[in-house]
Amino acid sequence: MTVETTTLIPAVAQGDTVAFEELYDRYSPTLYALLLRILGNAEDAQEVLQEAFVKVWTSAGSYDALRGSEAAFLISIARSRGIDRLRSRRIRSDRENDAGREMSVQSTFVVNRTGSDDAIQSQQGKAVRGALADLPEAQRIALELAYFEGLSQSEIAAKLGEPLGTIKTRMQLGMKKLRERLRAHQ
Amino acid sequence: MTHEDFDSIAALDAAGAATAEESLALAAHLAGCADCSRARDEYAEAATLLALDLPPVAPPNDVRDRVIESTDVVDIASRRGGMNPWWLATAATLFLALWGWREIGIRVAREHMKNQNAEIHQLTEQNTVLMQQKEKLSAEMQALGSSGTQTIALQGQQFAPSASARVFLVPGHRRAIVFFSNLPDNAKDKSYQLWIIRADQPKPQSAGIFDASHGSATITVDNLPVATEIKGLAVTLEPRGGVEQPTNADYVVMGKT
Repeated sequence: MTVETTTLIPAVAQGDTVAFEELYDRYSPTLYALLLRILGNAEDAQEVLQEAFVKVWTSAGSYDALRGSEAAFLISIARSRGIDRLRSRRIRSDRENDAGREMSVQSTFVVNRTGSDDAIQSQQGKAVRGALADLPEAQRIALELAYFEGLSQSEIAAKLGEPLGTIKTRMQLGMKKLRERLRAHQ
Repeated sequence: MTHEDFDSIAALDAAGAATAEESLALAAHLAGCADCSRARDEYAEAATLLALDLPPVAPPNDVRDRVIESTDVVDIASRRGGMNPWWLATAATLFLALWGWREIGIRVAREHMKNQNAEIHQLTEQNTVLMQQKEKLSAEMQALGSSGTQTIALQGQQFAPSASARVFLVPGHRRAIVFFSNLPDNAKDKSYQLWIIRADQPKPQSAGIFDASHGSATITVDNLPVATEIKGLAVTLEPRGGVEQPTNADYVVMGKT
């Protein structure tokens, strides 16, 4: 199977709607999965996904290929929007009411993989798939709480009942390992 | 901070876990450090592995339609050329810096207020203690000045021959105030205990425990028995907290009425 991996953002920055549609088809499954993981709610995830792509459309000109991949650019925008939504929602209600949502989300929405999913996976995912599985569980959990739940270091320390310094060290070590893993596959 | 420190902060920042202060310090450092900027970009790229590790999920088709339609709504002209990106970046950086300073300022002010409240609380407690001491001293002064006050001298015994005490008995107030001098300081695991030797009881009755500091001590005894004859007063050195009856007959000071 031939996979298209041409960088589309420069064309999007020029207002190329065809390139934008292709960009959507290429990355929306990854970004939607990320937003479902963060928000645990399909309606919110779809809304934020739309916001994220509008942001990509309006800020494509700020993308610098020397600083990071196209995927990283889009994921960064989507995660940032998702965490913003999550935090504003937390203010309104106790998120504990959503306990157990992750399992139901995973089981409900992990369906309908497309060819574009494979495109993403081929760029980075395949090469580094399982990187998280190689991390010690304690490091992985701390990183996931920060990345997907938007928790601060002190909130993570309180949630896990561990000293703040321990949490900091775990996250730093985990990130260094992920970076090494990425470097090894570049 | 060293480059290694900033490298660690960059790792946290990419995971979304750096504090506001750390992010500000990192941003300031990255402006002049290409190596750390590169490290920050690599960590940001590495953080995306967390997202890429998730199984992809295709969103509903109507979302695609809405997203594509939204490109018509957004003003492409202003998006592409309306503003200078350099100017925008500078404005954003300035805004973030000002916001950061404001946040830090608020935190410092909160910390300052917290410290001041703690100090006020401590001073209030000290004031309460001083007020209690003042009331006690006033009561003692009033007792000492009353007409029926009797005075007893207690003399040092073998354990502390130079020790002495003066007892002011105020029967009208059922109170005795004892001032000790040249009393050896008691060890931390010991207490001095004052005993009243009554005519109607074969054993001494405890009148309280106290510590000596720099040879001096004062103890006030309330509810003094007045319906019976007090034959004398004595002090022993006992285990910390006092005992029911003297554990020995080695009186430190002793005196008869």
